[in-house]
Amino acid sequence: MNLKTSAAVYQKEMLEIFRDRRTMISMVVVPLLAIPLLFSLINGFMTSREKEAQGEALTVGVLGEDKLPTVIEALKAAGFRPIAKADLRAAVEKKEVAAAVEETEDATGEKYVNVYIDRTRQASEIAGDKIETALEKLKTDTVRASLRGSGLPEKILTPFTTKNVNVASEKKMSGLVFGSALGYVVILLMFTGAMYPAIDMTAGEKERRTLEAVLASPAGRNEIVLGKIAATATAAFITALLTLGSMAYSFRFSPQAASTRETLHMAPPDMGSLVLVMVTVIPTAIVAASLMVAIALFAKSYKEGMSYLTPIVMLAAFPAVVGMLPGLELTPALALIPIFNVCQLIKEIFLGEFSRVAYAVAFGANLVYAAIGFFVASKLFKSESVLFRV
Amino acid sequence: MIRVDNLAKSFHDKKRGIVHALDHVSFDVKAGEIFGLLGPNGAGKTTCLRLLATILKPTEGTAEVGGADIVRSPEAVRRQIGFLSGDMGIPARLTPREVLAFFGKLNGLEGEKLRRRIDEMVETFEISDFANTKTDKLSTGMKQKVAIARTVLHDPPVLILDEPSSGLDVPTARLIENFMLRAKESGKCILFSTHVMEEAEYLCDRIGVVHQGKLKALGTMDELRERTGKHRLREIFLDLLEIAELAQGARK
Repeated sequence: MNLKTSAAVYQKEMLEIFRDRRTMISMVVVPLLAIPLLFSLINGFMTSREKEAQGEALTVGVLGEDKLPTVIEALKAAGFRPIAKADLRAAVEKKEVAAAVEETEDATGEKYVNVYIDRTRQASEIAGDKIETALEKLKTDTVRASLRGSGLPEKILTPFTTKNVNVASEKKMSGLVFGSALGYVVILLMFTGAMYPAIDMTAGEKERRTLEAVLASPAGRNEIVLGKIAATATAAFITALLTLGSMAYSFRFSPQAASTRETLHMAPPDMGSLVLVMVTVIPTAIVAASLMVAIALFAKSYKEGMSYLTPIVMLAAFPAVVGMLPGLELTPALALIPIFNVCQLIKEIFLGEFSRVAYAVAFGANLVYAAIGFFVASKLFKSESVLFRV
Repeated sequence: MIRVDNLAKSFHDKKRGIVHALDHVSFDVKAGEIFGLLGPNGAGKTTCLRLLATILKPTEGTAEVGGADIVRSPEAVRRQIGFLSGDMGIPARLTPREVLAFFGKLNGLEGEKLRRRIDEMVETFEISDFANTKTDKLSTGMKQKVAIARTVLHDPPVLILDEPSSGLDVPTARLIENFMLRAKESGKCILFSTHVMEEAEYLCDRIGVVHQGKLKALGTMDELRERTGKHRLREIFLDLLEIAELAQGARK
């Protein structure tokens, strides 16, 4: 094989990639602008929704101010605004109030305070939790008042207090949140980044009738395929690199991310992990490129190529979604599953606890899949029925 | 330079079953000769040229181009040919210079030799005014100049041209004709297919008429006139097709 020929094909394809608007949007604009913008919008929307829900959560339905005066007093002290309603259940259902309270009594004379909430509404959930806390405090205060008269120490109410101590480091906390989401986003965008160049240099060339001249040149078919796959893989890798960089930058520097990091005690992702992740995705970029080039070769036009490759991008997202699930660990056997293995590795690299054996197995397996992809694409590139499908 | 020996190509079509696109065709083309392949649409002209350019593989028979066998040494064949088709595109996002550099590299040219050759092509085909403009901004005539320059950049001894003037206006078609005559003068072996009878009559030293995959007639204009008793190529061509169809009817 003449690598100079492959290099010439690679160079030409890269020139075309950098001058193609569609490819540049999916490869550069989406990772650099759209992703941070999307995260910022979602974050902003969630924050404003939560604020709105917090405000709405302060309304509580009661049968009347004269009923349950102690409870209403306690709720008022906790910041609630009691509103008299005849049908408490209906008032919560119709969103007239966030929650409602009423007192009932059973046959034995035991008293119950029923709290009506709608679990499908965030405001109602928040109100339910706050009411429970306020009523717990009221209960404790009532018992405390009774104890004062009996001479018993108040301490007997709380013989001990439980306290959770998180042993996970800030890096690990960051890995849990950042690593889980990143694998999925990187894989999804990497496949999208490879899609346009793969179609453009196969079905697109057929449609524009530029392929025949290349086939009639002394270049071997393997050399041409190698150049095309290398260029597509480069586009996929650049997309991954920019996505990773953009997400890491947002996570480290954006004000919203800073407050999340503080709340969850997370450290920003470290450079070592970022570099290791970039190395890890290289074979997957080649797998994505060879798979997409091979499939797009069947298409006669750009449009047909799109309809072939869009489901592939969605299919690639499945193992990536599974990789996001908590509790899964990358065993050497699971490391053989393409895409899933790289998502899992990304997560474990950020958690700082990946197994070297699983890493080697996954890396090796992905290289083998890349070689198979190249072999299949070369075979198809030699097939007259695929190249000249009419 | 080109020797076609019993060359055949058939393929399977879902609707039509086995299709004999080229049915055991033999002819040869010498250096310094323009050989025209004529035939109606679907006659097998393009298949024949694609087989000689080693883009397709023959089902039977073989051919030699510059002494290299199209089945056994396809890469050696491709090193000796310049292949141009009328409906062939050129990469739209590249400039003519970049297109020439790419095809030069595919043909093994590099460094100073490649640069010099590109400059020669730019000058010969009057490309300099738009040599650095992306080809999607060029007119059909300009694109055709670039396509011709790309075809002869590596100075191949054999030119295979598939309907090179198809869809072109008269001045641009004239460009192609002049290019072919110049190539002939410099001793190149030229095999081309066309639908334009006047063009074939004007350019060709010998003509082969293909119909339904078979070579129905082969000879110089004078030989074809003698055979059919007609003077103009248009009449000769129609006469040959009529004879071929009558013969086929009789066989049935």
